[in-house]
Amino acid sequence: MKVEEAPNPLAEGLHDYRIAVPAVMVIFGATGDLSGRKLLPALYNLARQRSLPAGFAVVGAAMTEMSDGAFRKHAAQRIRQFSRTQPIDDRVLDALLSSLHYVTVDFGRLEDFKALGTKLDELDAANHVPGNRIFYCATPPPTYQTIAVQLQAAGLNKGEGFHRIVVEKPFGSDLQSARELTQTLQKVFTEDSVYRIDHYLGKETVQNILAFRFANSIFEPVWNSNLIDSVQITVAEEIGIENRGAYYDRAGALRDIIQNHGLQLVTLTAMEPPLAFESGAVRDEKVKVLRSIRPLIGEDIEQSTVRGQYTRGWVLGEQVGGYREEKNVAPDSQTETYAALRLFVDNWRWAGVPFYIRAGKRLPKRITEIRIQFKRPPHLTFGRDAMKEVDPNAITLRIQPEEGISLKFGAKVPSAGLRIRSVTMDFQYVTSFLVEAPEAYERLLLDCMIGDPTLFTRADEVEAAWTLVDPIESAWRDGRPRLQTYAAGSWGPDAAAQLLNADGREWHRP
Amino acid sequence: MSATQDEAPPVWHGEDVTIGDVLAALGEIRYKFARAEAGDEELLHPRNCVMTLIGIAPTEAHEHVAKRTTQTIGMQHPAQAIVIREEAPIRGRYLDAWITTDVRRPEVACAVQCELLTLHVHGKAADHLGALLDPLLVSGVPTYLWWLGTPPFGKRELLDALRVCDGLVVDTSHFDEPYNSFRRMAGMLKVAHHRLGLGDLQWARLRPWRETIAQFFTPSERRSFLRGISEMGIDYAGEGRGNRIAASLVTGWIASAMGWRLRRAVAGSGGVVAAIYESGGRSIEVQFRSVPQGDRVAGEVSAVRIAGASLGKSFRLSVHHNPPRARRVSRTPVDVERRRQDTGRVLLTLIEIGDGEPLRHVQQLEPEAEAELLLDLLSTGTHDEVYNRSMAAASELMEKV
Repeated sequence: MKVEEAPNPLAEGLHDYRIAVPAVMVIFGATGDLSGRKLLPALYNLARQRSLPAGFAVVGAAMTEMSDGAFRKHAAQRIRQFSRTQPIDDRVLDALLSSLHYVTVDFGRLEDFKALGTKLDELDAANHVPGNRIFYCATPPPTYQTIAVQLQAAGLNKGEGFHRIVVEKPFGSDLQSARELTQTLQKVFTEDSVYRIDHYLGKETVQNILAFRFANSIFEPVWNSNLIDSVQITVAEEIGIENRGAYYDRAGALRDIIQNHGLQLVTLTAMEPPLAFESGAVRDEKVKVLRSIRPLIGEDIEQSTVRGQYTRGWVLGEQVGGYREEKNVAPDSQTETYAALRLFVDNWRWAGVPFYIRAGKRLPKRITEIRIQFKRPPHLTFGRDAMKEVDPNAITLRIQPEEGISLKFGAKVPSAGLRIRSVTMDFQYVTSFLVEAPEAYERLLLDCMIGDPTLFTRADEVEAAWTLVDPIESAWRDGRPRLQTYAAGSWGPDAAAQLLNADGREWHRP
Repeated sequence: MSATQDEAPPVWHGEDVTIGDVLAALGEIRYKFARAEAGDEELLHPRNCVMTLIGIAPTEAHEHVAKRTTQTIGMQHPAQAIVIREEAPIRGRYLDAWITTDVRRPEVACAVQCELLTLHVHGKAADHLGALLDPLLVSGVPTYLWWLGTPPFGKRELLDALRVCDGLVVDTSHFDEPYNSFRRMAGMLKVAHHRLGLGDLQWARLRPWRETIAQFFTPSERRSFLRGISEMGIDYAGEGRGNRIAASLVTGWIASAMGWRLRRAVAGSGGVVAAIYESGGRSIEVQFRSVPQGDRVAGEVSAVRIAGASLGKSFRLSVHHNPPRARRVSRTPVDVERRRQDTGRVLLTLIEIGDGEPLRHVQQLEPEAEAELLLDLLSTGTHDEVYNRSMAAASELMEKV
């Protein structure tokens, strides 16, 4: 039986300060884009906040031949370019750089992993670190299994201290590949040592969905099918696929966004209150939601899903090309850049409430929001005429870019007569808090060092999401329903509007 | 009116006015702003405010600091700030007021207006600050009273002002008669209303020390060291009992967290203090040592050393603030990077465990501008049980010596 360790009494009252233990973090793919844009700047900002403990070290591991000095220079340049906090504090940067090391690792060569092990032992001894290791795979997903297997072969997955592995989404490309990945990782690491990062969950506003729902007593009593008419989730981007044509043309909006971000937002909106904000309890409730979603099979897929692809159009005042004109995209590509789904969560709380999710590229603007649409009042006390400009109540949780929450309700227009119209009550993060929100990666890296997996995705969660998405993906590949087109800069294909119109509803214009 | 009002011209000013006049002026200013921001829209944006911050400034210099700080905070966060300065009685004159506004336009949200209200209160009205402030407070958000200088502990004036506040913020490093004032403050919490929180900027300055010390004991393999602490040494700048508040707070913090009981304490010449605590049948020896002030602020902690042994392993943790820096000989590739002027402050941690080589860890401290300290403190509220119990333990220690 695992004995709970007593909390450090000196940490009490240090509020937001979360204390990591000394460890060595190995970044595979340390010279790559993710490492340079996100991980190294996040580590710098953690150092700036004094969140990196004495004895913490980073070992960059990649194919490129490089000395410690060259890696430090590379890291300094990336941190200067991409850190969210500017100007860079040279002394913080110097202190961080002095804890950076580099080992050349060809993922196919066991000798290289053994050399990495030797380096880690040296650092452990020098830094009084009892073998605590975090292996961060900032590499393409196909390498995850190779890295895990080599770590095991080199004996780097065991010994004194903790051994954690971090992998980035996508976690597989379908249910089968996700299971294979899980099986490989679990042969090398225990499940509670596998940290699957979906950086979306590290965003403050995503976490605030739980705070909004469960730290307030006024919302939960109305958060069910008695009063809620429907839920709309929008993940819109104005950009195209940029330079990711080769990846995106294989993935599409369903796998790229809906399978992870979209379903994460559904789970956070629909989950039951967890016993505590603690990894097991939160993730159990999220998995329950995924398992309660009515699977779309057969004809349901044609009736409840829409897929679209953008054609030429105008976005933010500029003319842009169509998807098939993008680099590394097949000229006859059938890949969707827009996906809309109607889902039902078949449980007591949500029976009969449709969850509409849409995600797309080259939409009019970048916005992510969850709109909780309430039912109309049961009786029109003020008459139909007075209420004609009143929309039903709605709560909108804006995830990005204007992070905040707004509540829509009816109010009397000042005049001699009685006319009601809709007004909003807005809460904006940017103007309401005394502290700046950290980058998602700062939060997630620190969580990983501390050993808190609450905001990471568990294996059963990944599999439950693929279980829902796989049949849709399969039907779409068979051309059911037909791929629609939409002009870049519009809110998606007409069929998406019809999906809601058929239910007597409309998409909210964000 | 002090010179600081010239820096940002007031949008409204009144001499010998009533609070009713001030409220009417505030209402009009808020409406005009909302109307202007709404443009052609029929609906006005709601007003956003996260707190009312009241600064009490006993002198013109304090007033300047209070206004500069509250304006800095207001530009980042929509607050209503009130700065009050007590003036000598002028016959027939009760209140002079100035309202200054700052508008902030975030990139992705509607504009917000922060209001700075400066009041010069003449004569007896200053003894009834609660009545003066109450109508001005923004409903539903916390009210913090930042008393610059030394609050009149035990006097009606302070208790009356605290009646309408959720938290009192002081800086114990700026107290006149710091020894006596600190002890009176420790006594005040017993008579203040139960909602009242107490914040201390000096405590906020000690946060990096607390974080660093806590961090050392965080790894599970070092947790047992906490029960093995046998000695602790603190260096502080300047001499005299009034300069030992920060050192006493650090001691009080660890002692109260660990359940140490103070057995005896004596003060010697040259600012030395020796205290013996007891815990679980063990003795813990605590020593304070005065170090030359140099460019440090009097009372500032310059080093903390903690040592002991547990499970057959000895340990020593030393944390130093701005230790002398060794000159660099070699130039690494990093040195080639262009540098800004070196003005930061450093916390150097040395860790020795068993026979292992010492581990050196350098952390940078952010500049401790008053506004940043205040923001840090207010962002988490002023109800800090750890501070209250640390202060009580520090007060006990100070009383003994």
